[in-house]
Parts: sequence; C-alpha cells; structure tokens
Amino acid sequence: MEPVRILGICCNWSPFACYNAAGMTGMTMPANFQLIRVMCIGRINQALILRAFEFGADGVILLECTDEDCRYGPGPDVGHENVHRVRRLLHLLGIRQERLVERTFGAHQKEELVRTLWDFAGEITTLGPLMSRDGGKREAKKR
Amino acid sequence: MKDPKIDRMIVDMALYQCLECGKCTASCPRRLSGKEYSPRLLAHKVICEREDEAYIEDSVWECLTCGMCRERCPSGVDFNRFIMEMRKLLAETKGLKGYRAHDGAIHSWMRMMTAPHLRQNRLDWLDDRIKTAASGEVAFFAGCAPYFNVFFAGIEVDTLGIARDSIRLLNFLDIKPVLLPNERCCGHDLLWSGDVENFEALCRLNYSSFKDAGVKEIIVSCPECFQVLSEHMPRVIPEFDIRVTLLVDLLQQEMKMGSMSFRPLKRKATYQDPCRLGRMLNRYAGPRELLGLIPEMELKEMENSERGALCCGNCGFINCDAFSKQIQVQRLKEAQATGADLLVTACPKCMIHLTCTIRDPLMQGRKIKMEIRDLVSILADQME
Repeated sequence: MEPVRILGICCNWSPFACYNAAGMTGMTMPANFQLIRVMCIGRINQALILRAFEFGADGVILLECTDEDCRYGPGPDVGHENVHRVRRLLHLLGIRQERLVERTFGAHQKEELVRTLWDFAGEITTLGPLMSRDGGKREAKKR
Repeated sequence: MKDPKIDRMIVDMALYQCLECGKCTASCPRRLSGKEYSPRLLAHKVICEREDEAYIEDSVWECLTCGMCRERCPSGVDFNRFIMEMRKLLAETKGLKGYRAHDGAIHSWMRMMTAPHLRQNRLDWLDDRIKTAASGEVAFFAGCAPYFNVFFAGIEVDTLGIARDSIRLLNFLDIKPVLLPNERCCGHDLLWSGDVENFEALCRLNYSSFKDAGVKEIIVSCPECFQVLSEHMPRVIPEFDIRVTLLVDLLQQEMKMGSMSFRPLKRKATYQDPCRLGRMLNRYAGPRELLGLIPEMELKEMENSERGALCCGNCGFINCDAFSKQIQVQRLKEAQATGADLLVTACPKCMIHLTCTIRDPLMQGRKIKMEIRDLVSILADQME
C-alpha cells in the first residue's frame, strides 16, 4: 500500500516554537509528515487547505496558537472558520472530515505537539491514501 | 508561439477577416473599465507580430469571454472560440497563467472531482418540499450548486435555492426528476481556463453516470452547464445521445400551452442577460416573456441590455480584479438607474459576482440596495 502523506500548516509563533524545541531535543516526528510554516494561521484561506488535498495530501493538520495567545488577534478564529467551511466542502466531495483537523498549542507544549502529530499520522494511516489524489497532478507538473 | 495550431486558428476563427475597425476594443467591457486590454491589438499581434509573446499571453488570459466583441464585429471574427483555443494551447505548452480568483479553490474542487472513485454526499439538501424520483429517464443537473452554496456562504448567495426552485417548477409541471448522487461539475470553468484534460475527464465521468442511471433527458437551469452539456460534451463524446433541455426553454413551451399562471408581485424588476444565455445561446425573449407573465410586476430594461448587456465582471473565476469590480459596480448602477429594486438574473455566476460587489464593504456598491434573485426562484415563488 502507498504510504500516506501528511501536511502540517504551522503558525510561526507558539506551535512552531514547540516544533522547534521538539527538534532541538531530538524527539522523532512521523517520517511522512511535512510542515509549512506561516506567520499566522489567520493568513491561510479555504483555497490553501483544499489545494493541499488536491496536490496529494492525505491528511492536513492546522497547528495554531490558542485563541487568547494569537500575536495578531483574529488568527485562530479565521482558522476555525476555514476548517469549518473546508470540512463541509470535503464532506460534499466524500472525503472524510477526520482528514482535516486543527489543534491549538501553547509555547511550552512540545510533547503534546509531537504526540498529536503521531496520533494524527496513525489515524490517517488507518484511513489510508485518499482516492482523489490524481486530480492535481497535471497542474502540479507545470509549476 | 510558432505553433502551426495558431495558424489554423487564425483561419478557422476568421481572424484574417479583421478590418481593424476597432469596434471590438471600443465595446469591450474590460477595456471600458480601464484595463489595458485590446482584442483588436491581440488579433493584430497574433497575425503579424507573434514574437511579442508576453503581450499575447497576457491578453489571452485577460479576456472575460463575454462575447461582446464577437457581437459587434462586422466581419464575424469568432473571438470567443479563439480565446478558448488559445487558452487550451497555452495551458498545454506554457502552463496556466492568469490569476485564479479565490486562490484557485473553485478549480481545485473541480479537478478533485475527476477522481473516478469519488463518493460525493451532494444530495443532503433534498427534503420533503420537493419531489424527486429514485430512477427515471429525466434528470435534473444541479452541477456545482451545493459547493457554491458552502463556499460563498460568507456573501449569502443561495445557489442551492436555485436548484430547489427549479425542481419545484418541474414538480409543478408534473415532472419528478432524478438527481444523480455522483454527478460532477460540468467543467465549464476548467474548459475556459484551458484545462482540457480534466474537462474531458469530467465529461466522460458525467456521461457514464448519466448512462448508468438510464437517463435520456437532462434538464439544466444554469446556462453555463447547458452550454457545456449541449455543445461541448458531444464534441468530447461522439456517441453522446442524451437530450439536454434548458429549464427556461421548457418553461417557455409550457407557458405557450397556457399551463402556467402566477400570483401578482408588485415590484419593479430589471433583468441581467447572462453572456452564456444571451449572446452565446441567443435566448433573449424567453426570460422576459416568463417575467412578463407575473401580474403587476414591472420589468424595466437597463441601459445596456439584450445583445449589448454588460458582463457580470468575471467568467470561469479567472482574473477577477479591480477592473472586474468596476464592471460590476457599473452594472449595478445601471440596474439602480432603472428604478428597480429587484435584479433578476438567470445564471448563478452572475448572482455570485454581483452579490459579491453589493456585499463588499469597501466598494461603491454599498450605496446600492437591491435584491438579486434568480429567474427560476421568482417564478417558483409566484407560481399558482
């Protein structure tokens, strides 16, 4: 069976601090996990999440700061809203909503972050690769 | 740009017949909104200055494909088809340029629908108020309506309402249509953005799902879906043998037989001709006759209507920018100038684009108070 691919979209502040600290202390991450670092989860929109699936992600996890912890203000709210909308679109497409999750972290929670990633990777491995993976290939090639 | 296919296009689309009169550019809504774009210059460059690749490429993606230039052209240059063929060619050789509105989310789900094993949950919205059949020969094609409804929830566009009201009208005419659980997008936006491969994949998947369900006739309310299903799909699938009916045509026939009557609606309305329905499919009278059947409703024509109707500002969700907004604001102002408070359109895309401008807090459009509704929704609400 093809291995699954997992994408994490990570806020530059608390979650990335956790990720960084986890890396510094030599904690192992799932091998099929790729991370995109953005300045704030409020920076991304529905399209970016949807396109991650189109371009071959089998699961997408949004790593956010907690609501009161956002450096910019509305970041996590925008994240919740986007996840809510994209989940409805995924539901229409017949893609299980468990494939898109969001998790919040404080700057000190590196163990929790790593455990979350392993749990998520496990869940997606159980769900298996996404059927609609072929869709984006053609456009991806041209870039 | 040395591709011999371009020489073929110049001949096929009658570009050599261009008299350089400039009527196309002078009537182009994109140009009139201030964008540096000229169909006439594009035709000129394609014929004799093909080394200016940057200009040609930019212009090809800039077009709204509203068909105004073709309408005005005295020599019959088929500019729409030229743009479509050029986009196909450029997407093939140089990749898709052109800014995709909403960061390509819409094209993205359309491409995701090309996965053969997709199991959509697209019929959750059906309820007891409308009657559909589990199997039968007549199907209703809802296309992307459930998707747009979710994606554009922020600007409160009820595209599912259009599908629901279309089925209500069909029920009124004693038709219980089948709704296919796994039909895909018709592929209009992919076709017009040059993505032939995925467009054809969608066509084939749709055709096989129609065939598997034993469908002989498809009723469509969206002009874009109708154009694709009736004109472009038979080109992809030579054995295509399904009858495609436009809901407006069907209603017009029924109206002539006198089987429909409506409750009065005391409002002033104006009608936006969608490019696909008007200039491309030549249906100007049908929607107006249907609206004329509603007692007490006053239908006012905008300054630019019928053949000269202004585009809703964007097509295929490509290159939506400040100039698109400019066109939309102008269109809404024209609608307001008629004194109407109800803008009727027959295409969900027109509804999405114009509503987007009305709801935009930063636009001049904020001064415009107007309800935008689809033709079928008005008819379904007033039906007796």
